[in-house]
Amino acid sequence: MTDTALEAAALGKRFGRLRRSAGWALRDCSFALPAGRVCAVVGPNGAGKSTLLALAAGLTAPTEGSLTVLGGPAGQARARVGFVAQDKPLYPQLTVAETLRMGGDLNPGRWDARAAERIAAGGDLDPKARIRALSGGQRTRVALALALGKRPELLLLDEPMADLDPLARHELMGVLMSQAAQHGTTIVMSSHVVAELEDSCDHLLLIGGGRVRLAGDIDALLETHARVSAAADTDLAPHTVVESRTTGRQLSALIRPAAPLPADWRTGTPSLEELVLSYLRNPEAKAAGAPAKSPEESVA
Amino acid sequence: MTATTTATAPATGRPAATGRTVLRLHRAALIVWLVVVAAAAGSLLWAYGPGATEVYANWRRGCPDDIDACMWDTTINGYYRAVRLPELALSWLCLPVAAWAGAALTGRELENGTAQLAWTQSVSPARWLVGKLAVPAVVLTAGTTVLVLVHRLTFEGNPFPVYLSWSEREPFVANGTVALALPLCALAVGALTGLLLRRTLPALALGTAVTWGVVRLAALVTPDLWPWQTATASLESEWPSMGSDVPYGDQGVLTDAGARIPYPNCGDDFARCMADHHAVAFYADYHPASDFWPLQLVETGILLGVATAAVATAFWLLRRRTA
Repeated sequence: MTDTALEAAALGKRFGRLRRSAGWALRDCSFALPAGRVCAVVGPNGAGKSTLLALAAGLTAPTEGSLTVLGGPAGQARARVGFVAQDKPLYPQLTVAETLRMGGDLNPGRWDARAAERIAAGGDLDPKARIRALSGGQRTRVALALALGKRPELLLLDEPMADLDPLARHELMGVLMSQAAQHGTTIVMSSHVVAELEDSCDHLLLIGGGRVRLAGDIDALLETHARVSAAADTDLAPHTVVESRTTGRQLSALIRPAAPLPADWRTGTPSLEELVLSYLRNPEAKAAGAPAKSPEESVA
Repeated sequence: MTATTTATAPATGRPAATGRTVLRLHRAALIVWLVVVAAAAGSLLWAYGPGATEVYANWRRGCPDDIDACMWDTTINGYYRAVRLPELALSWLCLPVAAWAGAALTGRELENGTAQLAWTQSVSPARWLVGKLAVPAVVLTAGTTVLVLVHRLTFEGNPFPVYLSWSEREPFVANGTVALALPLCALAVGALTGLLLRRTLPALALGTAVTWGVVRLAALVTPDLWPWQTATASLESEWPSMGSDVPYGDQGVLTDAGARIPYPNCGDDFARCMADHHAVAFYADYHPASDFWPLQLVETGILLGVATAAVATAFWLLRRRTA
């Protein structure tokens, strides 16, 4: 096992070179995700989260840069990577039992039939039911069973909980977390609902406009940022300002302190949601926590 | 194809059972194919057995003494259909095969994302495509081989002198390797269009259309790709006929300089007209019955060539798109 689960270097993906809508879904992405972490990939709709996960799963080839998955090129780690796509594709003509048997056929030597069946059984799923007859939430359960049954070292989940009811969401999140704890599985989970990930994730990858805006350990990120209130005419230099707002005589800002803060400022630690929203609202704010290379240098 | 298989086999030793998965996913298509093969083989065997004896005996009642006095009549219709329908199936089943390959085999999987589901198991896209192509190829080839063998049996045993010529399109296809190559070509072309378009209905339509074009084109150019025999006849005689059951090519008159010119539009004075054109003989290009196998192999070669190109393009496309 390598200690870096995912490592992107100047990664870029452009879709539809010939079409008028051609554009970069991801560009200049550089980050490293240590193994064994539970990483939240956060960003607004269309930010490039799904593209990043599809690249990591080896489903599409990058246009530029590189992505290392479990120590090798993305396509070569297939057997050790589990992936659940956003729309949970499954073969509608198969039954639940046949779908799981297919998992065994296509993952020789890795398949844990009992674990997969246990996850599927948790939802009172009839093994003889056809996939086309299942509800969205039930399909999600089967898709997760298929992904966990191969005992992946890296599990990539694209909006996994979107169509689950709160009870099933809680239960499956529990399954995922115990999987991560038991087998040291690295989990990368995307969502645009930050609250959904706050309790379970310890690593953050914030993507906006196809670029990495923020990456790193969540606790460390929160520690290096501060929410401050001061008089309206205060100069915030030399601190990096992510967002600032003036209301009357009051200035409130989210900053990355570069030096000890003056004692007359009221300071606090931001919540994860505040941090994420501040960065998303201010696209021009500098990326933080990215690897040493500056974005200018990483343009290949 | 074998190189791809070994290069991308998972490191765990036992290879993934992609074949079983393909069979499981396309069970309905497999059943339809088995029913079609069984029905066509049954029909041909009926024609070979009871058809050839009872229908023949019935037919000969109208002309018991002289077989040359026997004409086509309605008593042969049953026999005719029993042979012609399987022949039509062997000639044109390639179109539904192409439609199925484009739509169900690849197009729908890419549209729904189920192909990506397979690629995120321990199966690389190339290996997935190997399974997707190899299993139907084996099943189709096995079925058509049975039908061709049974058809040859029926064709050889045909007691009626009035039809079933080797050169007619349907019996020609059903008697040889062309029947085997047609569905393979359709499979490859269909699968490629599915991969290209990544949508079910467009792939169904385009795959079928392209296959139809390839099949028609192959049938059209094949006779010219094997040297014709030329029959000549003097101007006094009729036409250089080699019988009604050989395919004819270029026809016209030969001049005294040995050149071939198209049959001139003569008025009443035939002899004068021929003399004006310096014509010395009629000629007609034809393929004798001994050209059956060369023609079969030329057409098979064209179809398999197209199939190979389509398969190679499909693998190249998949490799370029995925990591």
